[in-house]
Amino acid sequence: MTRRLYDLAYGREGDKGNIANISVIARTSQAYQELKAKLTAERVKAHLGDLVQGEVVRYELDNIEALNFVCYGALDGGATRSLRIDNLGKSLAGALLYMAWDE
Amino acid sequence: MTYRIGSAQGFYGDDVTKALPMILGGHVDVVCFEALSELTLAILQKDKLANPKRGYTFDLRVIAQKILPEAFRRKIPLITNGGGLNPPAAAEMVRETAAQMGLHGLKIAAVTGDDVLARLPELQAAGETLAHLETGERLADSSNQTLVTANVYLGAAPIVEALQAGADLVITGRVADPCLYLAPLVAHFGWGWDDWDRLAAGIVCGHLLECTGQVVGGNSLALIHDINPADLPNLGYPIAHVEADGSFVVTKTPGMPGRVTLETVKEQLLYEVHDPAHYVTPDVVADFTTLRLEADSDDRVRVTGVTGRPRPDKLKLNAGRLEGFMRELIFTIGWPEAWRKVEQMKAMLDMFFQKQPGIERVAYSYLGINSLYGSVAPLPDDPLEIIVRVVFTAQDQETLKQAVRQIMTTGLSGPAGMSVSGTTVGAEPRYIIGLWPTLIDRAHITPQIDYLEVSA
Repeated sequence: MTRRLYDLAYGREGDKGNIANISVIARTSQAYQELKAKLTAERVKAHLGDLVQGEVVRYELDNIEALNFVCYGALDGGATRSLRIDNLGKSLAGALLYMAWDE
Repeated sequence: MTYRIGSAQGFYGDDVTKALPMILGGHVDVVCFEALSELTLAILQKDKLANPKRGYTFDLRVIAQKILPEAFRRKIPLITNGGGLNPPAAAEMVRETAAQMGLHGLKIAAVTGDDVLARLPELQAAGETLAHLETGERLADSSNQTLVTANVYLGAAPIVEALQAGADLVITGRVADPCLYLAPLVAHFGWGWDDWDRLAAGIVCGHLLECTGQVVGGNSLALIHDINPADLPNLGYPIAHVEADGSFVVTKTPGMPGRVTLETVKEQLLYEVHDPAHYVTPDVVADFTTLRLEADSDDRVRVTGVTGRPRPDKLKLNAGRLEGFMRELIFTIGWPEAWRKVEQMKAMLDMFFQKQPGIERVAYSYLGINSLYGSVAPLPDDPLEIIVRVVFTAQDQETLKQAVRQIMTTGLSGPAGMSVSGTTVGAEPRYIIGLWPTLIDRAHITPQIDYLEVSA
């Protein structure tokens, strides 16, 4: 079976206007070091493809071993304008955790 | 002395009766109810336009009838932003209800001053450009001036003042969510408005509580195998035990299902957060990167070490604008040749959308295939079924209705074996509200407090 980001981490999406944040919370300290080294903002942006129109910014929280990705233009105009069935983007964390992780 | 805050609402429509086991069990000193998402005020504006005595959340009636009598008897104050666009009308409704129940001596505070819809021209004349936070466009330069709401996110101060004046129930409109929870802490402990670390700790506490179920195992991916599915509707809502130094423990209502673990706290800590070192609120900028989490014992997580920086000069303002209407149709298409049939169907629909003047945006997705994950999802080669969802928008409802009638004329001339979901054909257009987030100088905003009492 393909190893995925979900095997190393869990997370949750939150929406503000047309901006979504996706937390990626490491399951172990070792996983956090691996994610911090390799799960770059560019990689997240490339993986999410047409879901995210703008840039992706990464923040690190060493204190809780988590990364926070802020994705601009990620909600098709925002929850109230979006034509997506998931207008709040609640499934975006799943979209990111689906990333194949064959390191 | 430990001070205990319960949280019994995280959105308009939440189960506010979760406050009862907290109050009846003697587990809390105050209960907060957070009712307003970014969109809620626009929904309430519809009610208020229909009836000027409305515009508040109907959950407040449940709070007044079922929770207030028990809380008042025990001198446990209640705080809610469920006053929405009309805290005075909400306060009057509660006063009447309370008088009928004989709650003599009850004191209700209604906080206003957040609603600036009628003041926008005055504010722009005073030099506020109200530039969109994400695009930079000035409000005056935007072609769409159909504004339905404009509310500033207030801080904790007016709630603190009302509590110190002895209010049993504080009803506000738009207040920054975590500030609802910060307020009783400032009122109780007497923290200074420049005590940035403690204020920030109160904000983190409020942020962890404000989504009720989300910190006790609801919506939790981490605990998906630990929570009994049948327990989800009965989760005990969260309670924080706060110390004078700002450190606190997050737990849940005792004797009820749910879990509070390092995982659930981490999930909620980063919910709707951008830069975690600068979580901006009207009262303080909180830093989430210095805090420490410790699992105290079962379902108790201790939070220490939160730090804060001085509050911002500007307040956030969110305006809602009517941006037209949308309609949705759902078609089902089966094997064989499913993708060829989709091609036929889209060609057909696109022709109608092009022929119908006024159709603006059109979006297709395949439910069960790529409606959630877009280009992340691989498309199957030869699927047994494809459910096509098409959404289209226009400035007026009649254009959308006309488009649906035209599309339906092809019932016998379309792809083989295609059908359409009848409930989507019969549905009414839904209005689209666009949000305009911006900043405003706090000097323009003066909260007002009005008190209503049930005579003794």
